[in-house]
Amino acid sequence: MKTPARVLADQVNQIQKSGRFSPRSASLPTWCPGCGYFGIHQGLNDCISSLGIPLTQIVTVSGIGCAGRYPFFSKTYGLHTVHGRALPAATGVKLGNPNLTVFAVGGDGDGLAIGGGHLPHIARRNIDVNYLLFDNSIYGLTKGQPSPSSPMGTKTKASPYGTIDKPLNATLMALAYGASFVARLFAGDPKGITEALIEGIRNPGFSIFHIYTTCVTFDKNFKTWAHLKKWTHALPQDYDPTDLGRAFNEVLKDDFSLGVIFKRDA
Amino acid sequence: MPEVDFTVEVCGMAGDGTIAAGGLINEAMSHGGFSVLGFDSYPAEIRGFGRCVTNSRIGSNEIVALGEKTHALISLNDEQSRSRTPSLAEHSLVFFDSNPPAYVPEDNSLLSVLPPGAQVFGIPFGALAVGASGASRGRNLTALGGFAAVTGVDPNLFRKVIRDKFKAKGDRVVDINVKSFDAGYEYALEKFSDRLKSIFSKIETDHDPKKVMLSGNQAIGMAAIDAGLKLYFGYPITPATPIMEYLAKYLPERGGRVVQMEDEISSIGAVLGSFYAGTRSMTATSGPGFALMTELITHGVMAEIPAVILDAQRGGPATGLPTKTEQSDLHAAVFGGPGDSARIVIAPTDVEECYHFVIRSFQLAEKYQTPVIVLTDFFLDNRVENRPLIRAMEGQAASWNVFPDEAFKDHYQRYADTPSGISPRALPGMEGFNFTATGLEHTEKGSPDYSPENHAKMSEKRHRKLRYALKDLEKPAEFFASDHLDVGVIGWGSTFGSVLEAVEKSRKNGFKVGALKVTSIFPYHSETIGAFMAKSKRVLVPELNYEGQLANLIAHLDSKPVDRLNFVTGTPIPPSAIQSRIEELLGVLA
Repeated sequence: MKTPARVLADQVNQIQKSGRFSPRSASLPTWCPGCGYFGIHQGLNDCISSLGIPLTQIVTVSGIGCAGRYPFFSKTYGLHTVHGRALPAATGVKLGNPNLTVFAVGGDGDGLAIGGGHLPHIARRNIDVNYLLFDNSIYGLTKGQPSPSSPMGTKTKASPYGTIDKPLNATLMALAYGASFVARLFAGDPKGITEALIEGIRNPGFSIFHIYTTCVTFDKNFKTWAHLKKWTHALPQDYDPTDLGRAFNEVLKDDFSLGVIFKRDA
Repeated sequence: MPEVDFTVEVCGMAGDGTIAAGGLINEAMSHGGFSVLGFDSYPAEIRGFGRCVTNSRIGSNEIVALGEKTHALISLNDEQSRSRTPSLAEHSLVFFDSNPPAYVPEDNSLLSVLPPGAQVFGIPFGALAVGASGASRGRNLTALGGFAAVTGVDPNLFRKVIRDKFKAKGDRVVDINVKSFDAGYEYALEKFSDRLKSIFSKIETDHDPKKVMLSGNQAIGMAAIDAGLKLYFGYPITPATPIMEYLAKYLPERGGRVVQMEDEISSIGAVLGSFYAGTRSMTATSGPGFALMTELITHGVMAEIPAVILDAQRGGPATGLPTKTEQSDLHAAVFGGPGDSARIVIAPTDVEECYHFVIRSFQLAEKYQTPVIVLTDFFLDNRVENRPLIRAMEGQAASWNVFPDEAFKDHYQRYADTPSGISPRALPGMEGFNFTATGLEHTEKGSPDYSPENHAKMSEKRHRKLRYALKDLEKPAEFFASDHLDVGVIGWGSTFGSVLEAVEKSRKNGFKVGALKVTSIFPYHSETIGAFMAKSKRVLVPELNYEGQLANLIAHLDSKPVDRLNFVTGTPIPPSAIQSRIEELLGVLA
């Protein structure tokens, strides 16, 4: 005979199996096997599940690029806009219906090049949008051109002699623009992504999650799994994310320390 | 009953109080029961040595176009006013400062260039103002006093509008301004006692207290608020900025807000985002900003998201002529942007239509789930008219959203291919209707799909929807309808007033002429327009652009070539130019 606890456990199992509350959609992601985006997908999905936010109350907004396709792989409401414009559209969605939880997702080309002019303004307006910046320092969907975060000397078909421009540091920019919550994360650590998202969603203003990730197809030299695993590490033990001055120093000193870099005191 | 059709200009330098004086004339004459159409031109350089001119046409019958000949010129700066003399009518009245604040060399004086027959009235504007108020700042009001005395305007009309204008600044300010006006009035009454006219005093008018003095921009702002606008996203640009400023002031008290965005791209992006979330929002811009918006406008077309965009056209291309008027964005509004991106474009022709069209634009955007572009221009936005304005009735601005039936829950197709092409639209938050709106070509379900059959099918669906929208778009209105016309004139936007006046005058001269007002620019009523063209021996389309952009759009509807009248002067088309062209065409016919 089944105990009430057993019946409940069975029901929970059934619901989980049905996938009704799982954010993962039936469409298989179009990303290459081994892409870092799968880790981000898992991190965000786990955050949504564990917070129990109804999928109908979430809008995922994106621009163009490999990350732009993200909304199709999620069962939330989705708004797949044009190149570089996820943040303005997300601003409209959030102000249009403040009850919704809004995620904006996009790559480094989308967010730092063509859409780079929007980041300072959503940050200074402190719109309650959670922005996941997938930073693999390459244009993947257009088959491997240098991006604004590619290191100097990056060689691609479009830069056969190496790039001569200095890379942008999105975490540093977010701090300078006055973002009220800034985290730096790694696609190889979905659990860390989930934890930072859970904390960042609670921030009632603009939260940016700068996520280092890979392009296994077009970048064999810089942000590879092997490199990122070796280079990334936790923030110092005594780190205080409410100290903006310390946050600047940390980011200037160390490109690869991960965690919640800054959160403004409420 | 004698009729009045009188045009008065005030001209001065930026800082002379020119625009304020012109505004007071408009208000006073409106209170006097006259029909008024006013238009200011001011310099693009705020602190430059710019000339300011206001033009007020005052009539006992309804005024639909700007005055061409000036019957009275009030000069607050003689050097600047010299440029106004070519448009002076015969025996015009000229008011000038007989004791100007700065020495004007004789060669530069206004009097030296006045046409013979002009009647001059020298009044020491500044000195009288100093005497009345202790400062010369009120010299524009002294000038108005002189104008009122000589033309026979009831001084109480001016006293009332001066009080209304300054009452917020306290009794003292009201008092000194009325005193400045009175000083000019009394001076002129006495000094020119043998030359006083009774231009306005003997006219009886049907005073309509419901008439309000409104600019196109104010009507647009009022309409947006009455339509329940909750969010305005915009970026400053002449001549659309006053709309943002109006809403910034009045929207918060209706629970809405204005967000000044970082550019026009983010403005339209946020408008699409908020409509996607189910909230009415809009943006207003001018040509250069509109150009930046075109990609996202086509995103609205593809993803089937409503948006309301007002393009207040100015002279172009590029930065062009920011403070001049033109109708040269029609092609951009209808065709601008990548792909087959048909959207709705409507164009009001007067201030009253600005109000009604903006309200309607929200409903069209919701029902047809596509961007709606309202085309106005500098002249229409900035001109003031006193018309009986009916505010929206309860329910007139009601939502036209089409929501999906509960039966489709859990197997919802966002882009369902229906007979009308309209696919019921779910909003985030609705349980069981989750979808992703996308600018990629997509299936009925909303999944990206580039197959030949799918692109053909979905392109057809979107265009079918636009054709279907025609039934909700205002039909062209025919004026002086007749079975056969020698010349049929087709007008749109701010130019239509000039068309109407020209056609009316030609008809009074005995010619068989008619006018068609086209307000639905895209999609357009090809049958009505085609029939009008077919019954006209000649078809004339006057426009403020070089090529004839509306003419290009509709030329194919009839086999005979369309006659075009194109003005690229940055100024409204004078009715007389259209009338001359009509009569020239008639000469060809004869």
